[in-house]
Amino acid sequence: MKKFLVLLIVSFLIFNLQAQQNPSKDHSKLKLDCKTCHVCDVPTKDDPCLVLCPRERITTVYQKAEETSELIVIDQLKDRYGPVYFSHRLHAQMSNMSGGCENCHHFNTSGPILKCNSCHEPNRKREDVRLPDLKGAYHRQCMDCHREWSHETGCNSCHELKKNIKDTKQENSAKKYVGKTHPVVLEPTHITYQTNSDKGKLVTFYHDDHTKKFGLNCISCHKQESCTKCHDVTKKSDSSKKIVSTKKTFEAQHKNCINCHSKNESCNNCHSNKILEPFDHAKKTGWALNKFHINLSCSKCHGVKIPYKKVDSSCSSCHGSWNNENFKHSKTGLQLDETHSDLSCEDCHIDKNYSAKPSCDGCHEGYVYPKQKPGKSVRK
Amino acid sequence: MPDKSRRDFLKKTAAIGAGITALSSPNAKAGPENILSPDRMGVLVDTTVCVGCRNCEWACKDAHGLPAGNLETYEDRKILETKRRPDHTALTVVNEYSHGKNSNLPVDVKVQCMHCDHPACVSACIVGAFSKHENGTVTWDSDMCIGCRYCMAACPFQIPAFEYDKALHPMIMKCDFCFDRTKEGKLPACVSICPVEALTYGTRTELVKIARDRIKRNPDRYVNHVFGEYEVGGTSWLYLASKDFVELDFPMLGKNPAPGVSESIQHGIFAYFVPPVSLYALLGGIMWITKRRKELEEEGKI
Repeated sequence: MKKFLVLLIVSFLIFNLQAQQNPSKDHSKLKLDCKTCHVCDVPTKDDPCLVLCPRERITTVYQKAEETSELIVIDQLKDRYGPVYFSHRLHAQMSNMSGGCENCHHFNTSGPILKCNSCHEPNRKREDVRLPDLKGAYHRQCMDCHREWSHETGCNSCHELKKNIKDTKQENSAKKYVGKTHPVVLEPTHITYQTNSDKGKLVTFYHDDHTKKFGLNCISCHKQESCTKCHDVTKKSDSSKKIVSTKKTFEAQHKNCINCHSKNESCNNCHSNKILEPFDHAKKTGWALNKFHINLSCSKCHGVKIPYKKVDSSCSSCHGSWNNENFKHSKTGLQLDETHSDLSCEDCHIDKNYSAKPSCDGCHEGYVYPKQKPGKSVRK
Repeated sequence: MPDKSRRDFLKKTAAIGAGITALSSPNAKAGPENILSPDRMGVLVDTTVCVGCRNCEWACKDAHGLPAGNLETYEDRKILETKRRPDHTALTVVNEYSHGKNSNLPVDVKVQCMHCDHPACVSACIVGAFSKHENGTVTWDSDMCIGCRYCMAACPFQIPAFEYDKALHPMIMKCDFCFDRTKEGKLPACVSICPVEALTYGTRTELVKIARDRIKRNPDRYVNHVFGEYEVGGTSWLYLASKDFVELDFPMLGKNPAPGVSESIQHGIFAYFVPPVSLYALLGGIMWITKRRKELEEEGKI
């Protein structure tokens, strides 16, 4: 019995080892040279021997900002300065609109997040100077953005001199970020841009139309947002009225719009000398959305491809498959009686024109809708 | 020591003068022989990385025994509103320029001696007080200087500064690439303090490669120009920038070494001593004519 147990354990171990040595299904199917990510010939689960930087391919596993660590304490300069409290989660949330995790965690393959010092050497005097040293790398990550909105570059803006630190204050700085998440970004209803276009000076952009009616995500437009878009301590401008710099090229200026709005669209659709009204399907297309259609996303009728395909107002352009058998006429507020429910749709709705009054003339002389109804009214 | 050098210099000049009259040919180069080691050092300044904290200014003063003040006073960014030049009180300065595209992100440019591969100051200095060292550094020797300030006129970057306010023993002041520090294996003071490592210290050959690589990988971030790679025959300090260097107050310079220009002018003027001799002949002639006229007038009176 004992021997059997030992045999079982040994065989289990061998099997386990074998399993680890064999690359998983995902790996083998990828057309990748193993050496792109692994240093050794036989990487195992326990020792994947991942290549350090620079890595040719970036295959970062994204974490949701909310799942990341809340606070990171950087205290490598213990002798001179107190620790720097870095609110990682807040920054991760902000990075959603500006480049994502890769903004800071560049060249990170799947697997554990690499520490900065796995690539950036701690000594400034070194052989390989292609990458910045650790001090430079750290400071670039912080100062590149912070100097943009706070316009400060002094050491004291982040590092507190050890001698100036009181214990209670230090605890407070650590507590400051506990449970703190980024506040919900307030959306403007509309922004009026002042342009110098001769086709119309004002462009009214209905932000909430785009997010709520058209269902765009924040990051469909705000991918590479500068921090100063929100965080600029010296900015005093009114956000509802913006003067657009006109030094940009036509393409650069219309970059965000032209993804969806065709370049061939009339300029007057957006440019006008007065503030335009929000999007209204009835006014814009001449076809008011009824209570069924108003809840649909645009793509349901107009297709997912942008620019949207045009749809004519006849019902059959979307509901081509409807016939007298599968259409519940009661939905319209009129339940057809037995005789009428057997008729084909076109018998009453001449030429498939469902918006016009149905005709009774074909069978009943002198009958007129809605005076005479082919059934009974029901609650819609 | 200065006296001795001066006497030496006079002796040398006399000998050279005699030599030139006898031997000079139009192709002669008076410039000192440059030792250009393939391992000479340099600094790559990435102005797109620089945050304009001016810590380098403080570190430079501190390392050179100049009044530096408190580092915290350098946080005042008002000083960046005016353009400054390196002078005898500050061997390096940082100037700020507008980015053009992003008004919140200024371009900060550190200015100091470029440590040319073919330095015009070395060539122009008539007493040999300037020297180009094997590690790329261009230094100045206070003991040999006679204060002629030819170096200031010759420098294509207008770097050497003169202590005009000192009546006794005024010095030529310029960045010495922290020659004393690098001799001991330390980094130049500015490179050492830079918080973002906008200044990369390495062999010039390697730095040119790194600079080219950065441009290749980020063509949107940089203009396709490494300032100092070819300017005036190459400089030890190299610059990368996001906009045209002319807009950042860099001089427009050709690829030929600056001494080539100044030397040919000097040689043109002094070749065979013809221009000086003819000048003296002209002056002599005028003197002779006026004297002759006076004599005639006097004769006429008598």
